[in-house]
Amino acid sequence: MEKRLIKKDALAGIAKKMADDFLVWAPVKKEDNVLFAPLGRNDEPFFSYLNSKNAPKNVFFPHTETMMKYTRTEKGMTFSAEVNKAEQSVLFGVRPCDAHSFVLLDKLFDQEKYKDGYYIAKRKNTTVISLACATPPYTSCFCTSVDGEPVSSDGADILLTDIGGDYLVEFVTPKGEALAKYFGETKADAQAESKKAEIAAKAKEAVKSKIPAHEVKPILDVNFDNPFWNTIHGKCLACGTCTYLCPTCHCFDISDEVKGSDGVRIRSWDSCMFPLFTKETSGHNPRPSQKERWRQRTMHKFKYYVDMFNAISCVGCGRCVMYCPVNIDIRKIVQDISKL
Amino acid sequence: MGDHCGNIYQLRPVSIIRALPQIKDHRLFQLKLEDGTTWESFGHQPGQFIEVSIFGKGEAPISISSPPTRSDTLEICVRRTGRVTDALFEMGKGSTFHIRGPYGRGFPVDLLKGKKLLLIAGGLGLAPLRSLLLYSLDKRKDFDDIILMYGTNNPDNVLFKYELLSFFDRDDINYLYSVDRDDEGIWKQYVGVVTGLFDRTDLSPAETYAVMCGPPVMYRFVLQKLLKLGFAKEHIFMSLERMMKCGVGKCGHCAFGDKYCCIEGPVFPYPEIENIKEAI
Repeated sequence: MEKRLIKKDALAGIAKKMADDFLVWAPVKKEDNVLFAPLGRNDEPFFSYLNSKNAPKNVFFPHTETMMKYTRTEKGMTFSAEVNKAEQSVLFGVRPCDAHSFVLLDKLFDQEKYKDGYYIAKRKNTTVISLACATPPYTSCFCTSVDGEPVSSDGADILLTDIGGDYLVEFVTPKGEALAKYFGETKADAQAESKKAEIAAKAKEAVKSKIPAHEVKPILDVNFDNPFWNTIHGKCLACGTCTYLCPTCHCFDISDEVKGSDGVRIRSWDSCMFPLFTKETSGHNPRPSQKERWRQRTMHKFKYYVDMFNAISCVGCGRCVMYCPVNIDIRKIVQDISKL
Repeated sequence: MGDHCGNIYQLRPVSIIRALPQIKDHRLFQLKLEDGTTWESFGHQPGQFIEVSIFGKGEAPISISSPPTRSDTLEICVRRTGRVTDALFEMGKGSTFHIRGPYGRGFPVDLLKGKKLLLIAGGLGLAPLRSLLLYSLDKRKDFDDIILMYGTNNPDNVLFKYELLSFFDRDDINYLYSVDRDDEGIWKQYVGVVTGLFDRTDLSPAETYAVMCGPPVMYRFVLQKLLKLGFAKEHIFMSLERMMKCGVGKCGHCAFGDKYCCIEGPVFPYPEIENIKEAI
């Protein structure tokens, strides 16, 4: 497909121009954080960011989402499902690791038999524009260990790569190509492409943090009862930060909120780190302590998801490593498992 | 991605035909669909479950207690134990609420046809097993011997009492029951855990399929007993309890190993979960 060049300083303008026509999600500075948020008229997108604090999964799978609205009337309850609705949107400038997470989430929400209309509608109506990591942003990045690359179009409709003075714009899918008019007229030459290949190779090389993610699957297959599982959870606070920031964590709760005669049924992110997550009404809890919960989280990412969908459910963004308040490091866990 | 995905969370309105008290805090609700459709078209299988959905309260997974052979109503046997069931118990005849489903994999009725059945239930575990029990009795000719073993913790907690009593008059079902404790000395049957019933009847393990549902502690002991008696692992089916929120394999609450209890279960053949330590 077509490739073009745009001047580096043109990027923010393009995002803002798109925001006139669509809902544009872009990285914006909010206090000390960079977050993906709908770009307002007076907002300035911030593309020189390392990575956003929140994973952009909230675009397709919001932290809190209305599943249906209902009203108590004299004739009984009336309700309307908020399913299969989505505004035409652009997710502008996500990192390739986060774009990779969408491919992984699709496997669950867009299964053959059980299609989640809430997720799918947003996914279908959103064009994903990835912003390649010409330089891996953090020392805790480990995308290359989990089937990713710092310069990758996986999960993206358009890939932008900083090749010096310009961005190389690659239209990866027809959905991406449909937005070509926003990216000027300058066709990319062979030189730009070889420059990009060079940058991609260098960036890949620069990801120094590596974990044996593929090696641990057969080890996890036979080590459910290993005493190793006693060694991870001791300092865990069960705060759920790792799961909330994780681009691939997708567990949710369903609950009701009522105000007067109006109510909403919402789904909101839940976390396997919480003690109540698996507790049954009878009082029985199949995962009674933090030990079982950590085993579940690790197994789910590196074994169960592989069993189910033939893919590791981790993109190597390193958020859980950076923001865990007690420094539990999934890279070390995987490393330790590889030595069992 | 499909262009016209339906809604896997689709609600259907139902009303209560009757709410029959069972034992303390347990009630049997007979339901009627209020969207003009029939339970026949609902198409549930014995062993499946529904999400009971009450606006303002939330949703709760409840197993279906009635068989598809009795499509004039759908019955659910509910223990009053949380927000949703509290609200349900405040409702009476004619009250309406919503359900979604049917969800999950039920009992393998086609496989069980022509076979001897051993149904083992503990406490409220009888609720989902009753759908298979009544199904097999309604299609009695399709099945060989039927044995029901039912254990409760004490004589006051026997569910479906009159229905069960009527089985003593039938010669086409062998019904054994136990209570864990009988402090008042009123129980004329076996006192002890449900596995004790195995010594009180002749089983032919080679031709029998065992199906069980009960509290978590029951599974381990019943399994041991069955395997010791020589039941093939492939002949053992168990309905598992988990906190099933979405019912469609998304929300993660009911997951164990690579299984989602709500779509791959709640009924599992033992070999499928034998090596998943967290399953039982």
